[in-house]
Amino acid sequence: MPERAEVAGHRKTFLITYVIATAACLLWLGGIWLAPYLKSRSSPWSSLVYAVYSPVCHQVASRSWFCFGYPLAVCARCTGIYLGFLLGLVCYPLQRGWRRISFPSSRNFILVSAPIVLDTVGNFLKLWHTPNAFRLATGVIWGALLPFYLIPGVTDLLIGQQKKRLNSPSTCP
Amino acid sequence: MISERPGMFKPALICGLAVGVLTAIPLVNCLCCLWIIGGAMVAAYLFARTSPAPLTPGDGAVLGILTGIVAAVGDAIVSLPFENMNREYVQKFMDQFSQFFEDMPSGWERWFEARAGGLSPAWFLLGLLASAVVYAAFGALGGLIGASLFGKKNLPSEPPQGPPV
Repeated sequence: MPERAEVAGHRKTFLITYVIATAACLLWLGGIWLAPYLKSRSSPWSSLVYAVYSPVCHQVASRSWFCFGYPLAVCARCTGIYLGFLLGLVCYPLQRGWRRISFPSSRNFILVSAPIVLDTVGNFLKLWHTPNAFRLATGVIWGALLPFYLIPGVTDLLIGQQKKRLNSPSTCP
Repeated sequence: MISERPGMFKPALICGLAVGVLTAIPLVNCLCCLWIIGGAMVAAYLFARTSPAPLTPGDGAVLGILTGIVAAVGDAIVSLPFENMNREYVQKFMDQFSQFFEDMPSGWERWFEARAGGLSPAWFLLGLLASAVVYAAFGALGGLIGASLFGKKNLPSEPPQGPPV
């Protein structure tokens, strides 16, 4: 019986992690399109939205998609990663369910990472120049793998914290 | 409250500072969020190499969060000199640009004047806080990937049992 209660607890933690991750992903994606929209309306807030994304993206206009006449808040590759992340979140429950805490194998990680790593290195060393559509595609492929690390990892962290709290001397009689 | 395991801070500090510097330098920062994720993966590798116990996914996440926070601080400090350099470069470019085009957006000169005063401490801290949150999230992701790749340890085999008495 306690095992069943523990499984139910794990499932609940999984669900909470999943809902928070999905909401955060949608909010983050929304901001990417909000920045050019605000700029097209000459809103001063657009600079703030662009600034939020600046630490995690170079924001070079030639490497970004345009919307409402202005570049998105992140480059094509980053847009791909975040769209891929959302795709991975949609696929996660169908692929893994809510019970098992497991990660993709190292082989799968290397296979999925190979296109984005090769393309990034090639562009960086000026060996070739790929169009934005290709950058977006490599981003989507890689981004789709990330929720398969984030959801079980954060769930494991939360379950570990719950167990620690239950076993701490202050909660024991 | 999330707690860290002993020995976590050193790899987080080394990798976080390296990531902070790399993300702040113009041109090198073209790898975007991949620097932070990669840095947290390296931190997980360094920790797993020295720690006798296996690195759990939760440990990887905590290590990644620490790396992200250190990277945000490093980035904020290293970015300061580049902030002025970028501003001067853009100002020069816009001055030249305005000689060729008469239809410059209204108020662009005012925008530069407003920014010329430098970054106020309040804005600096707000920016640091925002980037710390974002970097910590990406760092956690990198730490989790690192834990899955390098966290497994071969458990010591059971001691041989003597013959039954």
